[in-house]
Amino acid sequence: MMRAVLIDDEISNLENLRTLLQKYCPQVTIIATAQNVSDAVNTIEKYLPDLVFLDIQMGKQTGFDVLKLLPTRNFEVIFVTAYDQYGIQAIKFAALDYLLKPIDIEELMNAVNKAEHKSATQIQISQLDFLLQQLKKPETNMSKIALQMQSEIRYVTLSEIIRCEADNTYTHFFISSGEKILVSKSLKEYADLLRPSGFLRTHQSHLVNPKYVKSWLKEDGGVLLLISGEKIPISKPNKDTVKQALQQL
Amino acid sequence: MAFQILRKTIHLLFQTTSSLFYGFSFAIIASSLMKIKLDIMKKIIFIFLSLIIVLSTANAQKGINFSRKYPAGGKLLMCVDSSAKNVFYAHVFPNQPHTFFSYLPEVNKVSIQIYFRKDINVHSYRYTILADNKPIAVNKPIDIAQLKDVTAGDEEIFSSTSLGIFSIKGKIITTLIYSIEKPQDIDKSVFYGKPIPRAKIQGFSKRFKTDKGVDYKWITHPKGRTNLTFTNKDDELTIVKDKSDIDYLYYTTIKDKQSNKIIFESTVWQYGGLVEEHEFLPNIKVDKNVFKKSGDYEIIIQPLIKWTGCLDCDFSQKDIEKYTTRYTLSITLDEENYTRKELLIYTLIVAFSIGFIFLAILYFNKKRNKKKLAENEQQKNIAKLQLNSIRSQLNPHFLFNALSGIQNLMNKNEVDNANKYLSKFARLTRNVLDDKELIGLSQEKALLDDYLQMEQLRFGFKYKINHSQDLELDNIEIPSMLLQPFVENAVKHGISQKATNGEIIITFVKHANNLVLTVTDNGNGFDTEKKNKGLGLSLSDSRIELLNSIYKENRFILAIQSTTMGTKLSLTLTDWL
Repeated sequence: MMRAVLIDDEISNLENLRTLLQKYCPQVTIIATAQNVSDAVNTIEKYLPDLVFLDIQMGKQTGFDVLKLLPTRNFEVIFVTAYDQYGIQAIKFAALDYLLKPIDIEELMNAVNKAEHKSATQIQISQLDFLLQQLKKPETNMSKIALQMQSEIRYVTLSEIIRCEADNTYTHFFISSGEKILVSKSLKEYADLLRPSGFLRTHQSHLVNPKYVKSWLKEDGGVLLLISGEKIPISKPNKDTVKQALQQL
Repeated sequence: MAFQILRKTIHLLFQTTSSLFYGFSFAIIASSLMKIKLDIMKKIIFIFLSLIIVLSTANAQKGINFSRKYPAGGKLLMCVDSSAKNVFYAHVFPNQPHTFFSYLPEVNKVSIQIYFRKDINVHSYRYTILADNKPIAVNKPIDIAQLKDVTAGDEEIFSSTSLGIFSIKGKIITTLIYSIEKPQDIDKSVFYGKPIPRAKIQGFSKRFKTDKGVDYKWITHPKGRTNLTFTNKDDELTIVKDKSDIDYLYYTTIKDKQSNKIIFESTVWQYGGLVEEHEFLPNIKVDKNVFKKSGDYEIIIQPLIKWTGCLDCDFSQKDIEKYTTRYTLSITLDEENYTRKELLIYTLIVAFSIGFIFLAILYFNKKRNKKKLAENEQQKNIAKLQLNSIRSQLNPHFLFNALSGIQNLMNKNEVDNANKYLSKFARLTRNVLDDKELIGLSQEKALLDDYLQMEQLRFGFKYKINHSQDLELDNIEIPSMLLQPFVENAVKHGISQKATNGEIIITFVKHANNLVLTVTDNGNGFDTEKKNKGLGLSLSDSRIELLNSIYKENRFILAIQSTTMGTKLSLTLTDWL
């Protein structure tokens, strides 16, 4: 049983979400809705919900503004947005959940399930703090990323990440401390996320931080030698872009 | 006027002359003036002669024209054959004030008379006459008994007598006249009946520095062309002429054959150093620095006679050339000398050409860069705008929210409405994907209708699209998606906050030849002066700029009025209809 507040500036979106939740997520009870930032803040403070569906773009303000205005955030957040590249980027960095409009029923159910089973609410609170911090910075200047592990969230500085390696739908993060972190998201997602920060997709299964590249070996048509001594293959289609990127460093 | 001035000059000269006689000191002075004032000279002689004519007609003698009297230097006058032309008389030479030279190439006989002023002591005068250096008379006193009184035009009366009539053809008659009171002042008059010989260069010499001093290097009996190299050590060129009795007659010029300019001139001969048959040879010295550049130089030696422009001469350049000696010196300078002027000119030329080339390079570079930049800029702009226009025409936020609205209709089981809006959405998207340049007004109207209905689904406002009746909506075309960004702005910033109270009115109006499109909303308005207008508006500005550059004949004018009561935007397409 989760008590939820829905926040969206468009009435039809609220209606739609309500219909979908009633039909597919019976564990969720909608206790209130709000159509602008100040109403949203009041409603949340009044009802102290377990779960908030938060639209990002609301007229001239954003759902993030709602979070900023709340002194305490003891609830799970599922962001809902039609189109917001920057917002989504930040949400991904914070490893938070979001839904895209029109809403995919399966994604909705997954997100609600996840929220329901999150035992340590404290984790998400810190994730929200992290998100709000990230939003203060320009897009390419994200310095940390939240990595969702099975039982904890790890905040890793980007410069500490040596490389990432795909393992089916999981991704291994190799940290400079020698630690290896397994995250249940695909490498592709992290490749998209970390490319603006300079990470190089050398291969279908490899994402490399150029900071840790020692040299380009010509063996086997191109291999990157890392400072750690590891050799990372470069696939043919990526050769030119990797070469160019390394030359610009 | 000129005549009077001349007479005065003559009088003045007569009075100031130190000579005690009237004589023909006049001729000396006149001939020294000759170079400068040839015209004056002619007139002086003419005046003088016109006086003489009266005096001497009685003395007429066959063969000699006594009506033509020429000054012959000293105190002498001469008369020559009546048929004789080319009489070059009484030349005076630099440094030879008492030597007079008359060149009479066509004269057979010459009559010489001497004139004395009355206050002169004729008794003290002696004369010597030589024919080809052989004395005919030596130190003879003047035969006083033969003296006759003659006038010279004015009151003054002279004593005059003839020294004789001489055969001159092929001969040289020389007279020497002096007073025993002043035996050093000998007036020497040379009557030259032979052709004047051409001068000959006996040799060139180069002076160069040695450890002990200087030494000379000789080229003797040069041919017409001589090669000469000046090194650093060489400093002077000596040109040696052959010896003659009339060295004073010759003068030397050096001409730069390249520029055809005379770079050196000398009338003075030096003697000494060189001896031939016990006689010193005349020579001139030329400083090396006279030759500024390597190249050909012509050394010209010719008699110092005014060949042309005299009273009784008719001499062509060809005739003159007979008396002229020409040698070519081909000079090679180890070190090129340039005059300051040349140096300045060369420096300037070099500086200017470098400057010009530099400027040209700069200019073309700049032009090319500018062109490149402009091209890039334009391409970028076009690409950007095309891209942006697609984005702005239907922004993704609208797109997905509209889909979300349709999803809502579906979930509410409003199947008919869901169908209706889905097809509107499809139509909108199709129009965007079509990317047509121009679109009919009716089509634009339908598009806006679709768009606004989709937005209505989200925000629930009211809207109207009006047009004036005289507009044929089907036949008038406008750039596609022209109004959509403005309408979107009206929705987003205008009435999205007002929910069902919001109202948007769109009009298409004909104003003379202009098409005026307006979008009015009753939203809260915005500050039109504000720099960061919404993305939509700044895009519209750039889009209108682009449209203006494409449709040069028409102008797109965008006007925005905004108050807290609402915003009215009007876009005028001038001369569009």
